[in-house]
Amino acid sequence: MDFRVHSFFESHFVQFYQEEKKGDSVMKCSNMLAAVLSAACLLTGCASGPADDKIQIEIVSYKPEAAKVFEEIQDLFNETHDDIQLTINSPNEAMTILKTRFVREDYPDIVAIGGDINYSGFLDAGLFWNLEGQPVLDKVRDGYRQIDKQLEFVPLEGEYAIPYAANAAGILYNRKLFRENGWQTPETWVEFMDLCETIQEDGFQPLYAGYKDTWTTLAPWNALAVELADPDICQQVNRQEATFAEAYDLTAERIREMLPYIQPNPSAYGYSDAATAFANEEAAMWAIGSYAIPQIRSVNPEMEIGAFVMPGADSAEERWLNSGIDLQFCVMADSPEKEAAMEVIDFLCQDEVMDLYLADQGGISCLKGDFAVPEELGDMKEFIESGKVRDFHDHYYPSEMAVDALIQTYLLDTSADAKEKFLKKFDTEWQRYNRDLIRRLQEENQ
Amino acid sequence: MKRKMTPRERTYVKILLPILVLFFLFNTLPMIQGFIYSFTNYKGYGSYDWVGLRNYMDLFTDQRVWNSYFFTFKYAICGTILVNVIALALAIGLNAKIRFKSALRGIYFIPNILGGLIIGYIFSFLFTYILPAVGEYFQISWLQNSILSSPDTAWIGVLIVGVWQAVAMTTIIYISGLQTVPEDVYEASRIDGAGKWTEFRKVTLPLIIPLVSTNLLLTTKNFMMVFDQIMSLTKGGPAQSTESISYLIYRNGLDGGQFGFQSANAVFFFVVIVALSVIQLRSMSSKEEQL
Amino acid sequence: MCLGTLTVFFPLYMAIIIAFKQPSEMTNSVEGALSLPKTWSFSNFAEAMRVTDFWHSLGNSLLITVGTIILAILVYSLAGYALGRGMNARKRFKTVYFYIVSGMFVPFAILMMPLVKETAQMHLGNQFGVILLYLVFYMPMNVMLYAGYMKNIPVVLEEAAQVDGLTTWQTFWKIIFPMMKPMHATVAVMTALGTWNDVMTPLVIMSGTGQNTLPIAQLNFQTQFGTNYNLAFASYVLSLIPILVFYIICQKQILNGVANGAVKG
Repeated sequence: MDFRVHSFFESHFVQFYQEEKKGDSVMKCSNMLAAVLSAACLLTGCASGPADDKIQIEIVSYKPEAAKVFEEIQDLFNETHDDIQLTINSPNEAMTILKTRFVREDYPDIVAIGGDINYSGFLDAGLFWNLEGQPVLDKVRDGYRQIDKQLEFVPLEGEYAIPYAANAAGILYNRKLFRENGWQTPETWVEFMDLCETIQEDGFQPLYAGYKDTWTTLAPWNALAVELADPDICQQVNRQEATFAEAYDLTAERIREMLPYIQPNPSAYGYSDAATAFANEEAAMWAIGSYAIPQIRSVNPEMEIGAFVMPGADSAEERWLNSGIDLQFCVMADSPEKEAAMEVIDFLCQDEVMDLYLADQGGISCLKGDFAVPEELGDMKEFIESGKVRDFHDHYYPSEMAVDALIQTYLLDTSADAKEKFLKKFDTEWQRYNRDLIRRLQEENQ
Repeated sequence: MKRKMTPRERTYVKILLPILVLFFLFNTLPMIQGFIYSFTNYKGYGSYDWVGLRNYMDLFTDQRVWNSYFFTFKYAICGTILVNVIALALAIGLNAKIRFKSALRGIYFIPNILGGLIIGYIFSFLFTYILPAVGEYFQISWLQNSILSSPDTAWIGVLIVGVWQAVAMTTIIYISGLQTVPEDVYEASRIDGAGKWTEFRKVTLPLIIPLVSTNLLLTTKNFMMVFDQIMSLTKGGPAQSTESISYLIYRNGLDGGQFGFQSANAVFFFVVIVALSVIQLRSMSSKEEQL
Repeated sequence: MCLGTLTVFFPLYMAIIIAFKQPSEMTNSVEGALSLPKTWSFSNFAEAMRVTDFWHSLGNSLLITVGTIILAILVYSLAGYALGRGMNARKRFKTVYFYIVSGMFVPFAILMMPLVKETAQMHLGNQFGVILLYLVFYMPMNVMLYAGYMKNIPVVLEEAAQVDGLTTWQTFWKIIFPMMKPMHATVAVMTALGTWNDVMTPLVIMSGTGQNTLPIAQLNFQTQFGTNYNLAFASYVLSLIPILVFYIICQKQILNGVANGAVKG
């Protein structure tokens, strides 16, 4: 800081802050301040905590859209338990909030998160408690326990999460429009493209997209990738055995072939815009996950929604349902009340509670038992029951790499070599964002 | 200067000590910590390794970081120029003897008191739905698409909102400056037969040049830090074309697991800001001497 | 000039009419979008208030803003006084002055993460912590203003007071502090505008405590408004109202405060 900066500011500011007499108005303002302050104290209230001798258990859930049903579940638990007080928080921007809280070392007892890269990261940082041997794990379907094992950066002993609900992604469609116009749900890519063509000729908008919220680009991307690329492609790349340029070539091509059938300017509209448009019958289909159903219902409760598996492959047999863990519970290693936390989890895994959750949120139960598959997902049912499901590829992508934005960029790029540029960038960025992990894996192998 | 302290000076020290402690705790200390983290691969939680200067080297090869600097500079330069030109024009207008002057002045200040986040949400709606509807109505083709939806134009949308909000404060400072110009100076120039423009250039501008430099410095600094508008208008998109430096640091440092790397980015950003301010001040003060 | 006024009011006009309309009244035609709502119903506002827990957020915003203003005036004026006077006699004070003022150039982004950690360790992840942080953020600019203002106050006054037997403290409170009034107004206004609208600090410091300020409530409930723009706009209008009311009441003081003394209404 040199002297000129200082003298510069000083001289110039003093110039306009010349004194002027207005004693009364200042007095008035300070009175007002005092009044406002006391009002503020009243509004915020003397928040006295529930300082009784109950054990406090806090769950932070990353699904703000499930806030209501979790509140219900929380009250249900508290009514039936005298010794434990359960609080479930479902804030928006929950991942940022969770990460800031981890920075602060202010841990909740249980986190309810998705089976994605964040889980892998937290697990790798040693934040979760080993649940091995807990009886409740036996209630979970094996396929989802497997998915969680695959999410570990470096294979670990034990199990660290209780998968709770899964979601499925593919194409949502308007059953009524399909019935009225005699459109058939497609099973192969060629049929799908033909269908889009027909819908357009019949004067309807085939697809809608909300690519302004970049994460929605991942829905068609994942659904295509599970059918067109190896399920462990990310691990293969980390072991330097494959490149994305090859593996994702067809995926990249096909996500682009959908563009002419999407409304103009998809990057102008967000997820909610797309949900509203789809609900208002502005388009026949929307490539998104089952998690969008509650939102669509909130706009049009009467709508007849259907879903089919992304027909991304060239033959019907090569189709796979894109399904992953939408919600799972992890107990924090730092929680002082693990026994009580397990009691809460046991409660959550009761059939009645699961029914309550599914009724509100849709989705697929990860627990064994005869839970209803939501009616909307009817067409996907056989895939779920026969276990023909594969996890979302983006569950392995580091969030700071922002693959969703890369895909958006690619879809906006109109140059001839857009695909090559995109895939090349995918590979180079991947190496850069994952290099610490890749190095660790190499060391591990030696 | 080893003179003994007077009792008065001892009181000054007593006043300043707690304030200094506070300042050190919440400004200097976290800055040092951030500096230290910039040499690690810390994710924000869990364990971390020292990586030496790797983060700094990466800064220069990371396309996304470069893009964010490019966007921020483009935005700050255009914003600063626009804001100051508009504000100066408004100030001269408002300083002239017209009716409803004080009412207008009050109205023009309104955008400044409203928060960037909510203004962003409102404008986002206008850009997405209202303007394209207007474009459709009058058959203006470039208006028919939301300007936020194209990577080439989205920054203009952010710029409009930024300027809309920033003009007020700058105008007020200019007005205060114009009012210090004594009336007889103008009269003298009028007697010399100078036109309006010459009058502005030869009389007004030299007198308010210190204000111009203050305003340039303040607006540049504010525009460089742009965050709220990005958060509510574009979230950095489309195609990462509107990621400002602050937004990138927040997004990837806090939300993504790049705390160490983004700390390095923040340190670099600090250096850039200081360097810019010093350059700006120097060139301005040399201009002042010339005039 | 009229065009300027239009530019200012158009977005606000849109915000208000959308807030009053029902979802069914939203059309994509120009006339439809610009027309007034059919009925002036406050139901959107009531619902938005409920969803964002409006009164609670308002209380937090008020608490933080007013708390910051009061502390800011006290602390900055004291510091400005001590530095403004001390600087002339001793190099050491000058060093302190530069140390504080140079903080103006530190971007918040670099402090953010370490501050999250630090405030948590000191149990300051709450409204009080946010107030303290604001006090430090705005310190460089305002201390500079106060210290500069001290040049306008003749030293003779203090010397006379001292002859009358007043201590330095008493001199400050009885003579200097009242004389700094125009500066107090300026600092209060600038601090109020800065803290009231700030998103970043409460977002990272108070996240997860269940305490929201008005902008944070907007951010947090954005998804829940997803499909209902009318509700969302009602909540925007709600959160703009307090500061607008404050502006209308204190307009003169605010404008004067911003460009103190130079603008005479």
